[in-house]
Amino acid sequence: MKILVIEDDKTVGEYVRRGLDEAGYHAELVGDGDEGLRRASGKGAHYDLIVLDLRLPKLSGIDVLRTLRDRGVGLPVLVLTAQDAVDFKVQALRMGADDYVTKPFAFEELLARVEALGRRPKEIAPPTLRVAGLVFDTGSREVTRDGKRIELTPKEYAVLEYLMRHHGRVMSRTLITEYAWDYHFDPGTNIVDVVITRLRKKIDHGREPKLIHTVRGVGYVVRA
Amino acid sequence: MESIRGRLTIWYATALIVSVAVFAVVLYFSRRTATYQDLERRIQSEADLTAGILAESYRARGVLVEKDTAGRPVLTPEVAAVLEVVPDFLLVTSRDGRLLFASPDARALTFAEFEQINTLAAPPPGPATHVTGKYRIKPNGPTLHYVVRPVPDAGDQFGAIFAGADTRTAELRLEQLLSTLVIAFVVGIVPAVLVGRWIAGRALEPVDRMITEVREITDGRSLHRRLALPMERDELGRLAETLNQMMTRLERSFAALRRFTADASHELKTPLTVVRAGVERAITRPDLPQETLAALEETLQEVNRMTELLDALLTLARADEGRADLHREPVDLRAIIEEAGETGELLAEHAGVTIEIRMPPDPLVLAVDQSRMRQLALNLIENAVKYTPRGGQVSVELGASDGRVLLTVADSGIGIAPGDLPHIFDRFWRADSARTRTGERPGTGLGLAICKWIAEAHGGTIEVQSRPGRGTTFTVALPQGDTA
Repeated sequence: MKILVIEDDKTVGEYVRRGLDEAGYHAELVGDGDEGLRRASGKGAHYDLIVLDLRLPKLSGIDVLRTLRDRGVGLPVLVLTAQDAVDFKVQALRMGADDYVTKPFAFEELLARVEALGRRPKEIAPPTLRVAGLVFDTGSREVTRDGKRIELTPKEYAVLEYLMRHHGRVMSRTLITEYAWDYHFDPGTNIVDVVITRLRKKIDHGREPKLIHTVRGVGYVVRA
Repeated sequence: MESIRGRLTIWYATALIVSVAVFAVVLYFSRRTATYQDLERRIQSEADLTAGILAESYRARGVLVEKDTAGRPVLTPEVAAVLEVVPDFLLVTSRDGRLLFASPDARALTFAEFEQINTLAAPPPGPATHVTGKYRIKPNGPTLHYVVRPVPDAGDQFGAIFAGADTRTAELRLEQLLSTLVIAFVVGIVPAVLVGRWIAGRALEPVDRMITEVREITDGRSLHRRLALPMERDELGRLAETLNQMMTRLERSFAALRRFTADASHELKTPLTVVRAGVERAITRPDLPQETLAALEETLQEVNRMTELLDALLTLARADEGRADLHREPVDLRAIIEEAGETGELLAEHAGVTIEIRMPPDPLVLAVDQSRMRQLALNLIENAVKYTPRGGQVSVELGASDGRVLLTVADSGIGIAPGDLPHIFDRFWRADSARTRTGERPGTGLGLAICKWIAEAHGGTIEVQSRPGRGTTFTVALPQGDTA
């Protein structure tokens, strides 16, 4: 899948491009609206999706969007915006954007939206995650350990899902909090620790091997 | 008095009443003095006239006194007939003090009264001396003003001429004047005050209009509008002009703020995105040593705190402009409270506090900005847990009454000092840092300011009740009819 990234800030643009490449997409980066518009509406272009920064030098993101739609280019467009004002997002959506991500964004969030817009087949995220005897069915939202069903509250479910999706990798507390709660919810306490304590009681208590491990000062990892 | 109009009316009425009263008093007393002077002049001229007649008659006839049938000395009838026409009290006495003539008015007196004035008519001590005086005939009756003079040019037949007049007529006239003044005062003042009030109202009417207009303009959305300038360049015209200039400056600074807000959000958020991107990429690499990961995690947390602070500042900056960036849609508030409640339970568990959440059995649907409502509920619950010591209790209740949806978050915590209560919704206000649980980082200090904005942007209110050492209760009330 080919993605055109239009972003004037080189670091952000390069980060998005590389991140998308690593996730298995083919991404190209352009630095201004004119160039982006030329590439997106050119004859030889076969992009599947555009990631568009709203504030660009020369031609603004809104103008790029409007011109694209005027020219009949119906590609899905994901907008990057620094504004979190609702009316600004509404304006972008009205101009034909399909979705938006507010800066600074978690790459995970950007990726999720790109996936949704690209209507990628779901095998990227398998519906059932397994680590040792722990089975996590994302379809039916059912969790079992050694065949025994485990009841989870919504936050417990979200934290465990995140760790299961990235099992074997140390996930930072902040990233877990962002995923399970709203983006940058900062309660001042390590609320994730409380959820982990509860999850351990339900999943690891009295069973071997222990699956949830603490990495001091960083976060948690699920591994067998 | 709350209005200038009322004050103007009072001042005007007072000035009017005082000046009219002074005028009336001066008028009354000058009339009174003039009346008494007239009276005295009259009796003097009566006495002089009588003396003239007697002198004239003496030159023509010589003897003017004769005996009547009873043998008493009287004025000759011809002269008496001339004096008969003199009004008031006129007495003529002989050198030995016997009465020779009394005018009709004097003859009408009772014997006792007559005897009294007769004694006054004693001859004056010298040939050119005039004696004047006042005398009250009856107690509480009118005063008699009199003059006694000798009759120098009529031989030695006469002792004195007594001329007197009482003040009854004069006083009657003064009383009439007084009552006329009082009636004129009352009849004149009331309409004058009413007219004054009307004039003040008319003069201030443009001010009232201006107040309404300015209020409409400064509600945040109509700053481009200006006051209509009246044709006259009077005080009000100049006021309108000044207000317009002020609004132009306001509009400019608001526009500058808007630009700054947009620029700042972009300029600050882009580097944050870059920092975040770098940290996020690094932290998900599998081969990093733990210390590096911990440092990255701390950085990520700081980036998030900065982002949160920035968002809060931008939100409040926009709120100041009166632009409510709300995306409202009907939603069951119970879902929001339930989610916030779960987080509250986790926070409470961590803090050793029990939390109780009460919700109505039926859906409570209201058009709200879902993420803002969640932020409001989370902020209040988080605060309640934060300021409640271990073993304490927090209760969250959602309900509806009187067409309002009520969210109550109560705690049994340390409470807020009465002196702090008025400031808790202020920006960057923080409770004494000694009050927070040790080891916890303080918040941004913008949480409650944002809560207040969220409640008010939804047309609602937020109130706080607190007793130090007993706990704090926040109550958010949202209008239920507002489901647009």
